[in-house]
Amino acid sequence: MASRLASRAVSYLKIQVTHRGFASVVKDLKYANSHEWVKVDGNSATVGITDHAQDHLGDVVYVELPEVGVAVKQGEGFGAVESVKATSDVYSPVSGKVVEVNEELNSSPGLVNSSPYEKGWIIKVDINDSGELKNLMDSDKYTKFCEEEDAH
Amino acid sequence: MTHCVVASIPAHPICSHQPRPPRSLYRIIPSESDRISVVKSLQSSSATTHESRRECECECFNLYKELVPYRQAWSWQKKIVKQKKALIERDEDCPDSLFVLQHPPVYTMGTGSSEKFLNFDLKDAPFDVHRTERGGEVTYHGPGQIVMYPIMNLRNHQMDLHWYLRSLEEVIIRALSKTFSIKASRLEGLTGVWHGNQKLAAIGIRVSRWIAYHGLAVNVTTDLTPFRWIVPCGLQNYQVGSIRGLLGEFESVADSRRKQLPDPDDGQLLDIACKSLINEFSEVFQVRINYETISRLEFLEREPLSPLKEEAM
Repeated sequence: MASRLASRAVSYLKIQVTHRGFASVVKDLKYANSHEWVKVDGNSATVGITDHAQDHLGDVVYVELPEVGVAVKQGEGFGAVESVKATSDVYSPVSGKVVEVNEELNSSPGLVNSSPYEKGWIIKVDINDSGELKNLMDSDKYTKFCEEEDAH
Repeated sequence: MTHCVVASIPAHPICSHQPRPPRSLYRIIPSESDRISVVKSLQSSSATTHESRRECECECFNLYKELVPYRQAWSWQKKIVKQKKALIERDEDCPDSLFVLQHPPVYTMGTGSSEKFLNFDLKDAPFDVHRTERGGEVTYHGPGQIVMYPIMNLRNHQMDLHWYLRSLEEVIIRALSKTFSIKASRLEGLTGVWHGNQKLAAIGIRVSRWIAYHGLAVNVTTDLTPFRWIVPCGLQNYQVGSIRGLLGEFESVADSRRKQLPDPDDGQLLDIACKSLINEFSEVFQVRINYETISRLEFLEREPLSPLKEEAM
């Protein structure tokens, strides 16, 4: 997946974050309003949290992964991410069955910070309802959503 | 008073940021009296006074004189979180809640907590051990320690965890300063409230849909011995302190010409600390505290709660 992203001319949209710099948003991914991204390939989906989310969390020290085989539902929590003494729920943007979890995050939870869209992926899901994808945002909408949320 | 400064504390300002500064416009400004004022800034203007902001309501269950079993308090929190999520989903107003209490002796571990920080076998633990869903490593709760569980709808405040943690620290720092003249501080990268290398208060939270729960624990008159059976918060080279311990230290280096006032007893220290913490909480978060009686909690008890994953060891 990483090489596919690298070989295409991926355009990164920038969301203005006050004080700091910009959080990146990747085109062709879909986004939930709880700041998870999903990359869909047929019935297969890869899920992680966005650059905007990892930036707000700070250094991730622990990722709570679900077990392979569990069911996930769009909008429902499937795991958690811990940083700076705060553990936050992570929500699934799709419904289906978890077929793989990123075990590397057990020893290197910081991958969520350094590579939120690639090495820091969290789970892979076999989707059972691709119709639900229309409930998600595309990169433009997500960028706007983040800007509005940051202005709050 | 004795004031041991650890090298990593910046001289000024006292509040240090995480490597990634929070994106909100929360700023620390030293006031004339060299205290820290935390002000919430608006996007485009400088600090605003809190009179211009509508105060949020916060119901407070003040059980500070009681030793509430950990499981009970945990269950109350989860029920209230569930209630709040439902309110948010219906787009209704969702005020904040606050528990203030003590626990009987118990160890709690956070989500990523490691058993290597326990100096005992789990099968032969001196007290109950609960693995919870909050962040942070192992800590001890027990009599003499004031525990606060704010259940905050961060949408009412700032949707920024760094801001929230720094604000919780601010509550404690102000209370210690105003009420006990203890100049406590933050340590870079180590959430909590410190005096030198003694940790006086621990913080660990969980956030779900921007509702934060779990919270903070301040050692007032706590017997600190049970901390020796763990590596508190996973920090090897630090100590744990208490307000009573520090006041005792200050007393021993006090000017002999000073008139000796009678020491407050433990009960009085707890009373004073509790009042001060609630007061500072109200100030820092700009909420109006409404005391609720336990009958409101009993109403919660009657509502069925679907079994949540919890492990007690």
